[in-house]
Amino acid sequence: MKKIDLHIHTVSTIRDRSFNFNLDNLKKFVSEAGLDAIAITNHDVFDGIQFRAINEALDVVVFPGIEVSLDCGHVLIISDVADLEDFEDKAKLIAQRITKIENNISVDELQKIFCDLNDYLVIPHYDKKPSIEGETLNQIASYVSAGEVDSAKKFIRAIKDETKLTPVLFSDVRICDELDRLPIRHTFIDCGELTLKAIKACLHDKGKVALSETDGNRLFQIFDDGQKLSTGLNVLLGKRSSGKTFTLNRISESNDNVKYIRQFSLVQQDDDAYEREFNNELQRTRSRFIEEYLSGFKVVLNDVMNVDLRANERSVEKYVSSLLKSAEEADKKDAFSKTALFDESEFPISEDRVLSDLIGSVRQIIENKEYRAIIDRHIDINFLKRLACELIELLWTKTFEKKKKKLVNGLIRDIRESLKMHTSAVQVEDVDLYRVSMDKRKVDRFSEIVKSLQREAIISEESIQGFSVVAKKGAFAGAGEIKSASGVKTAFRDSFQEYGRPYNYLQTLLANESLTPSELYKLFAKISYRILNRDGFEVSGGERSEFRLLQEIKNAQNYDILLIDEPESSFDNMFLKSDVNQIIREISALMPVVVVTHNNTVGASIRADYLLYASKEAEGGNVVYRLYSGHPTDLKLSSLDGKTISNHEIMLNSLEAGPYSYNDRKEVYEAIKD
Amino acid sequence: MKLLKIEGDLGYYRDDRGEFTPVDKITKEDLLRLVNLTLDEEVEFEEYKDEDLKNHAHKIVYKSIFEKLRGLKERRQEFIDESERLYLQEYERYRDEPSQQGD
Repeated sequence: MKKIDLHIHTVSTIRDRSFNFNLDNLKKFVSEAGLDAIAITNHDVFDGIQFRAINEALDVVVFPGIEVSLDCGHVLIISDVADLEDFEDKAKLIAQRITKIENNISVDELQKIFCDLNDYLVIPHYDKKPSIEGETLNQIASYVSAGEVDSAKKFIRAIKDETKLTPVLFSDVRICDELDRLPIRHTFIDCGELTLKAIKACLHDKGKVALSETDGNRLFQIFDDGQKLSTGLNVLLGKRSSGKTFTLNRISESNDNVKYIRQFSLVQQDDDAYEREFNNELQRTRSRFIEEYLSGFKVVLNDVMNVDLRANERSVEKYVSSLLKSAEEADKKDAFSKTALFDESEFPISEDRVLSDLIGSVRQIIENKEYRAIIDRHIDINFLKRLACELIELLWTKTFEKKKKKLVNGLIRDIRESLKMHTSAVQVEDVDLYRVSMDKRKVDRFSEIVKSLQREAIISEESIQGFSVVAKKGAFAGAGEIKSASGVKTAFRDSFQEYGRPYNYLQTLLANESLTPSELYKLFAKISYRILNRDGFEVSGGERSEFRLLQEIKNAQNYDILLIDEPESSFDNMFLKSDVNQIIREISALMPVVVVTHNNTVGASIRADYLLYASKEAEGGNVVYRLYSGHPTDLKLSSLDGKTISNHEIMLNSLEAGPYSYNDRKEVYEAIKD
Repeated sequence: MKLLKIEGDLGYYRDDRGEFTPVDKITKEDLLRLVNLTLDEEVEFEEYKDEDLKNHAHKIVYKSIFEKLRGLKERRQEFIDESERLYLQEYERYRDEPSQQGD
């Protein structure tokens, strides 16, 4: 197997933080990591002079390359060293095009510059940001040999998924003066001579790439000293103060995107504070649900917010009284009030949303790709296109008419106003009765909706690892509850007095300047959550911690590695065995997990893939911290400096307090067995 | 086609029968018709001059309509274009690209 790292930065560009390249550190890295081949891939630039110096100084294969910024992500283009001069020329064209951080190039430009991309090793950022996906990935797919990922978890995921590219894990390191920790990301390939062609051939076969030299994809390197971990479940044992938590911290520091559940972090301490925090967290994680549940109501509310019933009433009153007065004074009309426009009403203008929505829907049917086959089976797309065009033409006509009416209305208003100034006659006030009655209907419907929203009912019941989370809607019991739902420090006492009259209540909320109108939809009904245990009762403090642990572990799926420090410190053995072990095993099928434990229920029953043992040893007057590791079935675990230790002894000492107490306990259990 | 004219101290508009009616009789339907004509046809309006119109009510109505219609005539194309820009991209795409069933 050959160890390669084809993504190394040696030039500080606009896309990097500033650094000074250090050739000695590159030499150190290549030699200590035992790399067989590297590629120099700087952002949108290739420094030929520096490359030649590097190539001269190292006795491993060094490929010239460049990390190109495409419009939607980055791609590595790596060349054969034999074509160095030609590559240098082409890279210059890239550098000329990209001089500012916002510059990038298109796939077409990339192809034009490099002529035939088949002559290069093309590796896009794949499961790594900024990633190349979708249409852009399709455009370059035929040249791509592998896709770069940024964690062991993503590597394994791509390996297992037949539809994914061959993954490669590279350091993406900046070789600078201060290289404190050597990078630990690299890929092994089953390749003879390390030529560009041979590497390309290897990368086309997922069976020829691996995370480790001898253990395939079961192990991967976690520290720069060469220590490995399983890509599945690791159990870390050790006495008190032997460096277990130190080891977890080290993993956490040397890796990105780590989910770390610290010891005792889930234990309940202050009841009230804990419950509040627990509920807040629950509300937060469920806020999307609330949002979705209330989305329909939100639309209604936004519409009703624009309704001003009082203003409508006033305009009707004005209309009636002016009409009556004008009738009374009919015989007193002068030249101004006799003009037809003096009492003219405006053209009613309505927003024709139906037609726009209809056009949108037809367009959706035309454009939809997912259900294309079904749609095509029933409707000829050309009919749909003609329908869309006809509807759009109708929309134009209607819009045009509306615009004209608006213009005329403006004219009527102007003339009415001017005429009014020259006469003492009463002018009949205009009123849009259609809108006035529509507004009234809107408010009635709104009130009905709010009333039913406030009726108590369970709106969702979700089962999570044996617990059920029940969401309930109902009315707010007091101003305090509305305040906490709003999250705003303002008084709701006056508003609450109108709570039973939704429209009036809305007016009081709108009058409150501390509230944001777009957030008001949360203040009409209370949505609360309860967690019920397996028996359907409200959870106890301990059960709440269990629920939280399971949630935390579940949430770890979004991370690249999961660390759990002594889960037993908060839970009983039955829970650990039945739930925690199972869920940890499940998640370790997807990502590397490290569990620190003293507990035999976790340590011995969880069926780890890899064992680690942290040990504090006295050696020649000094204290040495050592990490032993091996597979659970190995008789001996070994450390990186070649020491070994008996696996059986460690297991019994760490998990059963030694063979004597193990046997002793066994006898006690035997004696009381019925 | 002349839509507005001044004659003998009074202002007149072209009504739906093509005859000239005093502007104090104009209704909103008449106005809309004048707007349509201004957008669709080659039209002209007799310039409003304060001294030509003696009747004050006519002054107010005539001046206002005259200025509005003249403004509309000047911005005729812009007015039409604005309404027809809606969904124009889709319209042109669907109109120009008849596709095979099952594409």
